[in-house]
Amino acid sequence: MHWNLSGHARRLLILAVAGVVLAVLTRRAEFAGLAAPALLLLATWQSDRNPRVAMRIHLETASLVEGVSAALRVEIHGHEPFSARLLIEPADGVQAVASVDAPGGHPTRTAVLRVEPTRWGRYSLGVLMITFTDRYRLTEGTAVVELPFVSTYPQAASLQSSVVLSRLPSRLGEHPARAAGDGIEFAGVREFVPGDRQRRINWPATTRHGSLHLSTFSAERTQNVVVIADETSDVGDPGASSLDLVLRGASGAITRYLAARDRVGLIIFAGRLSWIAPGQGRRHWYRLLDLMMATPGGWDRAPGLTRLPRAALPPGSLILVFSPLLDTRLVEALRDLRERGFSVLVVDVLNTEPAHDGSKLSRLTARMWHLEQQAVRFSLTQIGVPVVHWDGVTSLDTPLAPYTRRVLVAHR
Amino acid sequence: MTVPASTRPAGWTRPGYGIAAAGALATGVILWSAFPLSTGRAGTRLVFAAAIVAGIMSIAQLAAAAIGNRESAGFAALDQAAQRLTGLVKMLPWAELLIVAVLVLEALHGSRPWHTAVLGVALTGYVLAVHLTETRAGAGVLRAQLPLLCSGIALTALSVGAAALPHFMAGSTDTAVRTVVLVVAVVAVGLAVPVWLSRSGPERGR
Repeated sequence: MHWNLSGHARRLLILAVAGVVLAVLTRRAEFAGLAAPALLLLATWQSDRNPRVAMRIHLETASLVEGVSAALRVEIHGHEPFSARLLIEPADGVQAVASVDAPGGHPTRTAVLRVEPTRWGRYSLGVLMITFTDRYRLTEGTAVVELPFVSTYPQAASLQSSVVLSRLPSRLGEHPARAAGDGIEFAGVREFVPGDRQRRINWPATTRHGSLHLSTFSAERTQNVVVIADETSDVGDPGASSLDLVLRGASGAITRYLAARDRVGLIIFAGRLSWIAPGQGRRHWYRLLDLMMATPGGWDRAPGLTRLPRAALPPGSLILVFSPLLDTRLVEALRDLRERGFSVLVVDVLNTEPAHDGSKLSRLTARMWHLEQQAVRFSLTQIGVPVVHWDGVTSLDTPLAPYTRRVLVAHR
Repeated sequence: MTVPASTRPAGWTRPGYGIAAAGALATGVILWSAFPLSTGRAGTRLVFAAAIVAGIMSIAQLAAAAIGNRESAGFAALDQAAQRLTGLVKMLPWAELLIVAVLVLEALHGSRPWHTAVLGVALTGYVLAVHLTETRAGAGVLRAQLPLLCSGIALTALSVGAAALPHFMAGSTDTAVRTVVLVVAVVAVGLAVPVWLSRSGPERGR
């Protein structure tokens, strides 16, 4: 805590001293009178200041999300005669409200400041500057508090629908399966056999056929979804690069499938592989998002990346891949997955291309690059791996629409 | 007791109004103290020029503080030039230099007590305007200082009266002026005493 004269007090002091000095030098009493208001105001200066102040700062949300503002609550204990002005000097990637005033007169004051992270990642929110000012605006005490490092999750892409496989594991869930069961979705009518539950008798059908018939319903099953986030490359404009889109898309898919009570796993495909096996629940959502934030991205010459770990891939899982498809090792890994019988769907997030200077050679290389990219996508499509393109602006429902309107037939 | 802070952002008073007020007061005090230039002693024009520079720079300083650090527009050279200019503007205490220059300008002219008193009131107003603009606070924060300001202005009037006394003839006029001065002094003390009491009362124990 650093106490000092305020700028206002310094100006008053200059006015008073200059007036008195000129009155003495020029022997003109009116200059002394000119200094009178400033001298009277300065007479209220107080020297008894408490050098200590207690503050408690905490975020009101459990997690920060890119583009979503959060409340930062600051409690100030002590210094009740002084009004306080709180100002956040935001770090890069953070926006904050200009400043907030906490008037004096109460032993404990609480101020709420809004901060909005504009990019995902782990970084400090900035610096909180608190300026205490006395009643007569003569004394200023400044406290500078480093705000903590926070993890900001990527903004989840909007996804209202979900891709559902035709064959689902025998585990209770919310997706209607082909098999009959105890769900709520009507499947058909069949003849009554001894042992059937009487409450399921379909009386209109029974009346028509003259024998007992009962309604059958679809079983409701969960599905295993494994999201693969390709963090090997980061190309494109900052804020809308391929890595940004990979993380936003993966976050959106994870959020959507966990909300539908599915079991969701995550594989981070970067310089090394990191994964979490499928699970459910809110706590699992945090585990997956934390893994996404904790894994350092970037390309590394790692040899064993073409075969993804068996432990992270339960049989019959739906594999959702978010990738710019620039790393051939991932393409090989997807081929391997398909050969192992998984249903794979690739969301292509590549929205940029190498810059070229317009020369003949540059145009030729650009064309070759385009052909190569087309060949990669075509080869995946040929082995039964659909590739859809997502621009990062529209909802994920748009590119996934052909696969969310009906069940995705799982081929082996 | 926990009291939520005012959620009103500190910038609720438009800084443009404060800058305009401070600019008008700065212009007023410079012109008021400088003119007529012909009656000033040697060096009046030089100090006048210095006061003008200090006045312009003090207003630029307020404007720079109000604008703050804007996002880069992408022109590195322009940004660097703007930052250097802002650094130059913020380098010196221009408002304090303006106060000194204006007072020296006034001293370079002959004795004119009422003129000096008006200048004193205007300079105090300038100091308050600069403070309000700097802190982006409303005029309400000066409520506690109001009795002191009134007392100070009354004392200024008293000093003008004292300076003007030798110019009056002795007799009934002299007595009337002395009576008025006495009343002003009593009013000033009457305004000042409650302030002193309120200051030394509730805040003593803290």
